[in-house]
Amino acid sequence: MISARNVTVTYRRNNIVALRDVNIEVPSETVTCILGPNASGKTTLLKTIAQLLNYSGVVEINGRDAKSIIRELRRILSYSSTIEEQDLLGVTVLDVLVYSRYPVSRGFFTSEDDIKRVYEIAEKLGLKGLLSRRLSELSAGELQRVVLAAALVKDPRILLLDEPDSHLDVYSKIWLSNFLREISSQVTIVLSTHDPIFASITCDYFIVLSRGEVVFTGSRGELLKNTGILESVYNVSFTSISLGELHILLPLNQSIHRDKLVKLGEQSHRDISYNSSNTRGDH
Amino acid sequence: MSNKWKIILVFLFLIASIILPLLYTRIITLTEGLPEKIFTYRFHRAIYTVLAGVVLAASGCILQATLRNPLVDHYVLGTGSGALFAVYTTLLLLEHVTLWVISLAAAIGGLSALAITVLIAESISGGDVAYVLSGIGVTSLFSGLSVLLLYYVASKYGYASLMLTGTFIHSRPENLPYILLAVILVLVGYVLLAKRLNVIMLGDDHAAQLGVNPNLTRLSASIIAGVSASIIVSQFGVIGFLGLVTPHIARFILKTSDNRLVVPLAMALGSTLLFTTDTLSRSIMTKIIGEVPAGAVISAIGAPFFLILLIRRFRGVIS
Repeated sequence: MISARNVTVTYRRNNIVALRDVNIEVPSETVTCILGPNASGKTTLLKTIAQLLNYSGVVEINGRDAKSIIRELRRILSYSSTIEEQDLLGVTVLDVLVYSRYPVSRGFFTSEDDIKRVYEIAEKLGLKGLLSRRLSELSAGELQRVVLAAALVKDPRILLLDEPDSHLDVYSKIWLSNFLREISSQVTIVLSTHDPIFASITCDYFIVLSRGEVVFTGSRGELLKNTGILESVYNVSFTSISLGELHILLPLNQSIHRDKLVKLGEQSHRDISYNSSNTRGDH
Repeated sequence: MSNKWKIILVFLFLIASIILPLLYTRIITLTEGLPEKIFTYRFHRAIYTVLAGVVLAASGCILQATLRNPLVDHYVLGTGSGALFAVYTTLLLLEHVTLWVISLAAAIGGLSALAITVLIAESISGGDVAYVLSGIGVTSLFSGLSVLLLYYVASKYGYASLMLTGTFIHSRPENLPYILLAVILVLVGYVLLAKRLNVIMLGDDHAAQLGVNPNLTRLSASIIAGVSASIIVSQFGVIGFLGLVTPHIARFILKTSDNRLVVPLAMALGSTLLFTTDTLSRSIMTKIIGEVPAGAVISAIGAPFFLILLIRRFRGVIS
């Protein structure tokens, strides 16, 4: 379990308060999503949990102060955002995965164990054919998968993913969603995203941030019933659609008439249900 | 080829690249029946070219990895000219100077120039080309000042003018402790930093979450690379582009960016290239046009290589 109590982060350079008095509890072995518009503090919150920023307050990992277990944390926690790509330095996919085992790798040179684990992860993520490629030769989607593999290669128990779905096409997003749900029985995952549809099909628990403050924490069911929270944060209408077991959060453009949407759903699916606490943009 | 074999071959090549030139020098002096005095001179010269090659190549690898910049070495970043300027200043100001004082001055001068280049580059954009531009500016400044000082220094120390392009003509047994100090520095740097530099190449956030402090690593890497290269400058002058070229050839051969392998292979290539250049310059060129400083020959090979890299870098951006 990850918890934060009275966490405040102030960027010294411009004196901006990026997180203000944040109190959250992230349940273990679930996929938790941090939602919020640009500059709401999503990345800052992830980096704070990962102990990459100075903060006031307390972050606890499994009941222990994160600051006191920093060495252990580097082995059991992965924070993943982007990987710098400098073509002329010749960094290959294999290099990235081998280097990313740094905290768990023993000895000076790469061991057989390192190589074995790297190949297993590469196989799992469909990267085996790309191992000798340079990062600059990859598509944006392939690079995103390498970033995920780099986070997984040290076998973390906590996985913090900053916008793992950016640059992904629809197929890859669904693949990623399924993959994260599959591994969430062994790993606690916290991710941030700008895509409410991806969030709602992937995540069980939600934290909504607005201007550095937590405005909502709760399960997917609770958020789907309370889409007004997202409305006030994003200034966009939201609705939720349930298709069998699939629950989807949908941002609405004002020109889309909800009645039409419901009718469209009814035609294709008998058991469609529609829920929104907000009616702005509706007629 | 398995990783184990790559490691074995790279280190065998490194050992061979150090031992064979010394062996060659001994055999040549014996077969030519040259007096012991000439052997001593040539033997020291061979040791210095080999070890200077090792140090400059390692310094280039460390600087490229730590700054995530494939276009730099101690020369491009202004460290070489900063160290040389400090050497000339010391020779000019002090009546009696020991090699220790000169080495210390070079280290301070080299690190100061490196710091200026980094500060200017970071204030522009922090990009790899910003480092090159800033480095060219700092190099020009200290090279210009060095040439000005040279008019006064050369009257006291004749060999000072040769240091502008880097030469091993004035190799003496007294140089040995300083060269060994530089070698020890890069070897310690290699063992302590190679793994960390690999991680740094992937970005600061990625490195920090793996438990590598990017700022501390960058600072220690810059000091090790800057001081070791400056010590070479203090003894033999500025040898440009060797530290830039050798890491690229090593990465190309190994098909990896792994500094645990790239650094020793670059060291081997550096020593081979510098010894060969110096020997050819001493033996062949002397007969044709007189002895050309090894640094000048290396620059003539290295500078076009640098330009090719620059073009590839920009083509990469455009495409």
